[in-house]
Amino acid sequence: MIGRRNLSIGVRSLLALVLVILAGFPVFWMINTAMTPVGDLYSNNQRIIPDFSRTLNIFQVLVSDSPFLRWLGNSALVAGGTTLLSLLLACLAAYALSRYKFVGKGLMTFGFFATQMLPEALLIVPLYSMFMTLGLLNELYGLVLVNTAFAMPVAVFLLKSAMDTVPYEIEESARVDGCNALTILQVMFIPLIAPSLAAAAVITFFDGWNEYLFATTFIHDTANWVASTGLASFIGEFTTPLDMVFSGAIVFTIPAAIFFLLMQRKIVAGLTAGSVKG
Amino acid sequence: MASLTFDALSKSYGANTVISDFSATVDDKEFLVLLGPSGCGKSTMLRMVAGLTDISSGTLKFGDDVVNALTPKQRNIAFVFQSYALYPHMTVRANIAFPLIMDNFRWWHHLPFWGALMRSRLLKRPDIKAKIERTAEMLELTDYLERRPKALSGGQRQRVAVARSIIREPAIYLFDEPLSNLDAKLRMQMRAEISALHARVQKTFVYVTHDQVEAMTMGTRIIVMNEGVVQQYGTPAEIYSAPANEFVARFIGSPPMNIFAATVRDGLLYVGDVPVLNSAGWAASVVALGLQTVSLGVRAEKIGLDSPSGDLLSIEAHTLVVEHLGAETIVGVKTGPVGSTVDVGVGASRGLHYARIAGEEQFTTNSGCRITFASDAVHLFDPETGKRLEP
Repeated sequence: MIGRRNLSIGVRSLLALVLVILAGFPVFWMINTAMTPVGDLYSNNQRIIPDFSRTLNIFQVLVSDSPFLRWLGNSALVAGGTTLLSLLLACLAAYALSRYKFVGKGLMTFGFFATQMLPEALLIVPLYSMFMTLGLLNELYGLVLVNTAFAMPVAVFLLKSAMDTVPYEIEESARVDGCNALTILQVMFIPLIAPSLAAAAVITFFDGWNEYLFATTFIHDTANWVASTGLASFIGEFTTPLDMVFSGAIVFTIPAAIFFLLMQRKIVAGLTAGSVKG
Repeated sequence: MASLTFDALSKSYGANTVISDFSATVDDKEFLVLLGPSGCGKSTMLRMVAGLTDISSGTLKFGDDVVNALTPKQRNIAFVFQSYALYPHMTVRANIAFPLIMDNFRWWHHLPFWGALMRSRLLKRPDIKAKIERTAEMLELTDYLERRPKALSGGQRQRVAVARSIIREPAIYLFDEPLSNLDAKLRMQMRAEISALHARVQKTFVYVTHDQVEAMTMGTRIIVMNEGVVQQYGTPAEIYSAPANEFVARFIGSPPMNIFAATVRDGLLYVGDVPVLNSAGWAASVVALGLQTVSLGVRAEKIGLDSPSGDLLSIEAHTLVVEHLGAETIVGVKTGPVGSTVDVGVGASRGLHYARIAGEEQFTTNSGCRITFASDAVHLFDPETGKRLEP
């Protein structure tokens, strides 16, 4: 029995290792490419161990040759704004969908999911003309709005499922104690669904952080670019400084990775919340 | 002053009527128990009193004020839920203080962030702090104030729920089957604690339960309900000694009241084909009421299984079940001689009557006996409507 169990653990560990290698290799390659001078990239003596002596140099070049830090700041504003606005609206919408009966509730729920059925590329032309009329082109908060529109439905779904698990008695008890709907949402629901809220925060944050299509279409002014468009702009018609592209990619990945690590524990709890009783 | 007046109260969900035409007046400081089987509408009734469920028609008054349109908070009530509904993310202290904190909230305190700040400030206010300490002390919760509800036992959670309800000193206390999640021993202890609380705070209590023992031991008044209709309203003694109908008679009392379907024949009552000896007087009363058949009710403790003597009524029977409980013996019998009934499967419990004999009596199963009872132990019910008949 013990032998079989050890074997099963061994096989599982091996499988996990293969998965880690598959997932980790692109990251390793990104670091390796960033540390290799462009000339060496196409030579036959490609390095396997990154040359970390170039670390400081490449980031210096990145920061001095391009407004990358500013773009990174813009990305943080757009992703942060998207997260805050999405969660605020999603909390209110999810509460209403979870606890109230009203005409058109089914239709409204369907409407939220319908937004996910259409590819973003399909909506870009109508959205562009709408943003032009509203004067939202070239504005970061315009990006926040459009990202929120696409990120919020997922958050609503996630939060509504979590709110459905909050016992009615807790809400009723709060009403007897003198809470109004807004207080119940703040004082009872939000602390009780915190794991799902963290999961929704991560999902909406990455939606805003990684978004490229709308950012490249709606923002023309270089100063208002976000990091994803800035990074893509390094790719030239005739030459591409690959070390710069990849060092930018490293810098672009780090804040997102930190945010994810901070939220990770809660996300796991959030994604599995309600799946098992108790 | 918080008397309660139900005036033709009804509740329906679409075509489904849950409570119809409920009227009663409950005096101030009464301990009213709403008693009935599951699904009889008693919890709905309590929720209507609390303002958690809308009233379809009729009026509900607290004192002289109609409260139909008031919110739960405006009604100044406390509600103890079956599941306790403690706030799991708050400490016991914050749970108990919550109603008091909300009482001190102004409208702008309901705004985000500001509210959180105010709650923690109010929790530290000396008068609120003192009140929490006093309430916790009264319910022996002082040692647990900094714990979360999940770190408490069932009985402690129950006490936190009670503490949260009494801290605001409401006009009416509402309890929705608060003891049903506790084990038998703890339930007995909490019964005593809630009764003591009623004696101490001297306020109107409305208590919902399906447990007749809770109703009989705690209530000063009981409303027995079935299928949304009030069956009887009275003191525990009245309900036990003079049940208004067959439903109340069988619902109150353990084992339930024995009901014999009796027919008048040759100037005597017959249960099936078995004559009831010495029943000539009762037979005449039944005929005088214009009936030929009647439901004859006798409480289990009023039945003896000894040989008939004097003017006791008696029916031939045989024993089927003997339960020795130490202080008393419950004997299940069926009318007729041994072997006259089908006594396997469902048939074994159908038509079974119970006698409750004091002490540790030795009975053997499947032996002949006689059910005996005194004339004044008899209750008569109309076999069709189930209503009590007064000869």
